[in-house]
Amino acid sequence: MRLQFYSGKMNNLYRINRGDWHRLIQSLSVSSYNILAPVRNNGGIDYTIINNETRDEIVYNEAKPATPLKMFFLPVKLNVTRTVSDAKKTIIIGAPACDIEGLKLLDLIYLDEKFSDETYLSRRENTLLISTDCYCTQEHCHCTTYGINPYPAKGCDISLSSDKVDHYLMTWSEKGDQFIKELASSGQIDQVDKNKIEVISEQRNRTIKSLSEKNESIPGTEITGTIVRESGREIWKKYSSKCVSCGACSAICPTCTCFLLIDRPGFEKVKQLDTCQYPAFERVAGGEDPLKALSNRFKNRYMCKYAWRPKRYNVIACTGCGRCIEACISKINKNELIMELI
Amino acid sequence: MTNIYKVLRATVEEVIDESPIIKTFVLIPESPFKFNTGEFIELSLNGFGEAPFTPSSSPLITDKLEITIMKTGYVTEKFHQLKSGEVLGIRGPFGRGYPVEKFFGKEVLILGGGCGLAPIRSLLFALEDVKDKLQRIILCYGSKSPSDCIYKPLFSRLNRIDKFETYRTVDKPEPGWKESVGVVTTLLDKVRMKIENTVAVVCGPPVMMKFGTIRLLEMGYKDDQIYLSMEKNMSCGVGKCGHCMMGEFFVCKDGPVFTYEEVKNTPDLWK
Repeated sequence: MRLQFYSGKMNNLYRINRGDWHRLIQSLSVSSYNILAPVRNNGGIDYTIINNETRDEIVYNEAKPATPLKMFFLPVKLNVTRTVSDAKKTIIIGAPACDIEGLKLLDLIYLDEKFSDETYLSRRENTLLISTDCYCTQEHCHCTTYGINPYPAKGCDISLSSDKVDHYLMTWSEKGDQFIKELASSGQIDQVDKNKIEVISEQRNRTIKSLSEKNESIPGTEITGTIVRESGREIWKKYSSKCVSCGACSAICPTCTCFLLIDRPGFEKVKQLDTCQYPAFERVAGGEDPLKALSNRFKNRYMCKYAWRPKRYNVIACTGCGRCIEACISKINKNELIMELI
Repeated sequence: MTNIYKVLRATVEEVIDESPIIKTFVLIPESPFKFNTGEFIELSLNGFGEAPFTPSSSPLITDKLEITIMKTGYVTEKFHQLKSGEVLGIRGPFGRGYPVEKFFGKEVLILGGGCGLAPIRSLLFALEDVKDKLQRIILCYGSKSPSDCIYKPLFSRLNRIDKFETYRTVDKPEPGWKESVGVVTTLLDKVRMKIENTVAVVCGPPVMMKFGTIRLLEMGYKDDQIYLSMEKNMSCGVGKCGHCMMGEFFVCKDGPVFTYEEVKNTPDLWK
């Protein structure tokens, strides 16, 4: 089972005054929607439930919320044998393009044709994704290194770009167009020629240029795959010697999705996020454990991101969001490791 | 759409002691349960734990299911305490089993070790059903000692069936043991196969799979003539949880049966 997105040029472009948009979102937040959007916190920005107190604080077009988008579809702990349908729909505003790209891999894993995950699908279907351009980036952002643009494309329902006066909303699914129609019934939204998107392309190009310049020495998808695959043991021993197997890199990664299935009375199953970085992840009852050594576990994550998942799903499993670098308490920088392999 | 995490309930009808550490559980599922030989199930102990097992019974029987379990860890120890009448949960069948149709017209050499005979017994039932389309079926089985040898009546039964031959060996003989002594690969010296028209099936503990495969390759078997049943930590069974990743493969979805050709480049294949 797959979610439907527009193919070809079926998408539409709308323009709305920033103040009008703000009022419309305010009116929505008290009706039938749960709205989540980034607001500023101590260290950066992160998703918050939008209510009367937070509605004036939404931050647009900044990279990137601390929480990866996956958390809304794959919560840390979830009973997957109970189907609870939320009467309210969820709107997530401000997901960056890198996280939308990461969601594509999650969809491939969780919505495969034979074994679709019901709880994941219902959350995906019940959520409207409004993804935003990144006009300012963070220190470790490097999406362009892996061929991902710092602005949304296919994979979200609506993409939001802005200039000083207006927001430009491009629809990428029927769900997105229906939502715009709903908004238009209570406010002024103009459909405009798709070429109008050019007014924001200058800003987009500036972001791409700054990212590309900053990260020019980090190798791209194919080279990274090759050098990680062909690497010897020493580099992994060296970098993993600082690793404490805390699993923060996986928890914060928009594409790390591995989980533990826990049994509960009544044959219920609870899914809890897990990671190959924890000891005994692959251990079998007989005692064999290919990932027993810390350096093997450490390398496993890189192999998964840059070699195995791309080979299997034909998508890169690292979106260049840089969260793993920020989250590492041992200050392990995966880009330094990759550059050392060249 | 069915929920992939929900179980089918099954009642334990009988518990058979196979060896000091191996038992077979005869289960009656609440509705008919179909599987292809070599596919596996996730078996749940209510509220306690779940583990992957390949049924050891015939895929032609759908109202009964037999699971052979070796006491080897936390969950399997609890399985061993089960009594008839208790209720278990089944999810599955999952994965890719033995491609029996690809064996048609060929000789089938089966190399089994220890509890690895469980999936093989199911395969033998499936092969018996299509034996007219096969040349020969040769089973070589090794266990630690004669009392560790499981399914004892199976061998004499198979030896009475046209086209079937069986050979057994043990590492440590006991008084009265009249068959071979030594590791399972030593049995390969006793059988004459037309290698170019033979498929080899290997199932057992990792060390036995490794040396079994190495010996078969030395004998001239090609990589794609050797079928391996990989043992990994299959937990969700549906290619999502990641615990059974083996390179780019999910063993639960792409396996557990692979040809050696498919997996030979996997790092730490035998661990």
